[in-house]
Amino acid sequence: MAHEFNLLSQILTVFPQNAVIICCVLGVIAVLMAATIILLYLKKRPKKEPGSVGFFGRIKNNVKEKCAAVKDVFKKKPKEEYAYAGPELTKGEKFRRGLKSQSGWLFVAPALILMAVFTFYPIIAALVNSFKQGYNSMTGSFNGWGFDNFVRVLKGDTGTGGADFVQCLINTLVLTFISVPLSTLLALLISVALNSIKRIQKAYQTILFLPYLTNALALGAVFATFFQIIGTANNTESVGIVNNVLGWFGVAPVDWVGLTSPHWEIGRLSIPWAKYIVTIIYEIWSGLPFKILILFSAMQSINKQYYDAAKVDGASRWTVLWKITAPMIMPQISYLLVTGIMGGMKQYSAVVGIFGVTMGQDYDMGTMVGYLYNYIELGQMGYAFAGSLILFIIIMIITWINNKVTKKRTTYR
Amino acid sequence: MSFLSKKNGSAEATVGKWDLSAGDEGFDAEKAKKRDKVKHIIRNVFIYIFLTACAVLAFLPFYWMIISSVKTEMEFRESVPTFFPHTFQWKNYWMVFHQVTSKNSSSASFSQILINTLVVGILSTLLGLVIIVITAYAFARMKFKGKNMLFAIMLATMMIPGELFTASNYITVAKAGMTNSYTVLILPFLVSVYYIYLLRNNFMQIPESLYQAAKVDGLSDMGYLIKVMVPLTAPTLISITLLRFIGTWNSYIWPRLVNTAPWQMITNWVTGGFVDRKQPDGFSLYGGAYGLSESLNTLKMAAVCMVSLPLLILFIFCRKYIMRGVSKSGTKG
Repeated sequence: MAHEFNLLSQILTVFPQNAVIICCVLGVIAVLMAATIILLYLKKRPKKEPGSVGFFGRIKNNVKEKCAAVKDVFKKKPKEEYAYAGPELTKGEKFRRGLKSQSGWLFVAPALILMAVFTFYPIIAALVNSFKQGYNSMTGSFNGWGFDNFVRVLKGDTGTGGADFVQCLINTLVLTFISVPLSTLLALLISVALNSIKRIQKAYQTILFLPYLTNALALGAVFATFFQIIGTANNTESVGIVNNVLGWFGVAPVDWVGLTSPHWEIGRLSIPWAKYIVTIIYEIWSGLPFKILILFSAMQSINKQYYDAAKVDGASRWTVLWKITAPMIMPQISYLLVTGIMGGMKQYSAVVGIFGVTMGQDYDMGTMVGYLYNYIELGQMGYAFAGSLILFIIIMIITWINNKVTKKRTTYR
Repeated sequence: MSFLSKKNGSAEATVGKWDLSAGDEGFDAEKAKKRDKVKHIIRNVFIYIFLTACAVLAFLPFYWMIISSVKTEMEFRESVPTFFPHTFQWKNYWMVFHQVTSKNSSSASFSQILINTLVVGILSTLLGLVIIVITAYAFARMKFKGKNMLFAIMLATMMIPGELFTASNYITVAKAGMTNSYTVLILPFLVSVYYIYLLRNNFMQIPESLYQAAKVDGLSDMGYLIKVMVPLTAPTLISITLLRFIGTWNSYIWPRLVNTAPWQMITNWVTGGFVDRKQPDGFSLYGGAYGLSESLNTLKMAAVCMVSLPLLILFIFCRKYIMRGVSKSGTKG
């Protein structure tokens, strides 16, 4: 056993060096959670009435309810009683009929077998194998259990020249939390505009929906050409459309996607802001169609009576927008934000499409999913498992928030 | 009238802001209408300008992709980009088709890749559809012990990101020796819990009485499923089929992990470099001005067109089903 199992000492060895980074990451997650909780509970918290049970009382009731629901599932239901008018059944006949009544299993069997191999088993395997130190996936050998994989993943000390997890995490968070709100806001503006016109609405809708059905890798390559500075063969040089446009305002050409792309260095991390901008523009472009589709159809389904009533009351267009339209489509907006963030945490192909398989220079544009695939390809399964578990935990937190939001949604209907 | 106008006149100072009375003549409906109309037109002009700008920006990458694919490389690299090609060089496409010269090269020819993609796409879509339909039917209509429990467990797996499975699945198929085959591309993604859930809900909306009637008429479960339920839920099934096929068409990471180039899919092919390769008969686009190590953007754009345009055409013909499916599921397959 090369590594002794000692969680505390391992955490302590990570902490001093990376305290700032880990605190930042945890801080972002904590702020996210806190903001959601505050938004969902405290803002609309009802005033305490004589008969109310209070905050903790409500939690208690909630738990009680959930327990009762779980108990219900396991409780044996009383058998349906019905008069059987036929002749007395033999034992064999009874067995045959009983078997026939369970024929549903035959229908679900193919799906069940496939899921057992490709869904249920991998969950357990990932949970177990991530704690095996020095795990060799082909021979199945490893040297002891422990948190070594997680520690090395967080420290960036994998010794394989692969991507750096903290870098990938920061990239993913920055890209997601900038591009998702921006594209949702833009989608909102477009849907409001789309909703207020009558002519050629369908044509605009179709064109705006086109980017949805695209291959991220193919269109990522197209976006890269917008920003690319390319060779000087035959004495010509293209600096890309974006640099051309910026040139009109006297801005010197920036190498947006290439090797000399500008970036800030913070410790062992690099913040390639120019590449961030390119990726965010792509994400907004590719994320808009779905958001417009959802928001626009939500606006179309708002009952016209509200608008008529507002007209009678002489409300201005602005008031109508903020007091009627916005609250009515709030559930969809929150749904889009949550699904957008969930999808953003799993982004990968856009980055590969723009920056190539190595995700920029030395993986400086790596995302969390890109990190997993990187280590699968390197054959370092232990790190891949550990990274995927960390990703899973982060996504679970967002799912949990999602559940809260969708519960809230029902109050508007 | 004069009485009214006098009153208006005295109140004008306070109501002046609203300008309800134009002069001393009382409320001028004509003028107000006109002003409203002007306001309406100005607002609409702004809205149309905004929407047109957005539509142009949304379409620009497609336009750029198409015109770049027929430009010459020299024109593409000009310092001032041209928005309409001087010369149309359709040979770019020809060159993309003829990228591979030797058979044991590390990259694959386009025809091979296209066959891979179509075979895998059609097989996985059809097989997946069969599994989804019968599983959804069992969950919607049949009674067996542990049904609800099983369904709850299956739904719970939806919360887990698929990336968690990839590493284990890779080990599984590598140990089973299934790499470099179509099987490995099809099997792991046959079951889609979300579509089972979607279809089950669709099935449950069909009234139970129909089932009883079919039973009385002597139809088996399977017969009822094929003759009654499938036709009734056809729109959902078409949406699922299209989205699944698009999903397979766009699959990238799994083929890259498990298969080598000749067994990969079209998206893997498009990420490769495309160069001005000298053909066996001595033909090359630029006579060796660009070396074999220099990936040419125009060729790449031609390849990108070949991957993207089928999707756009599919969208134009099946717009209704795709948009319905997308708004329901929010996934690309």
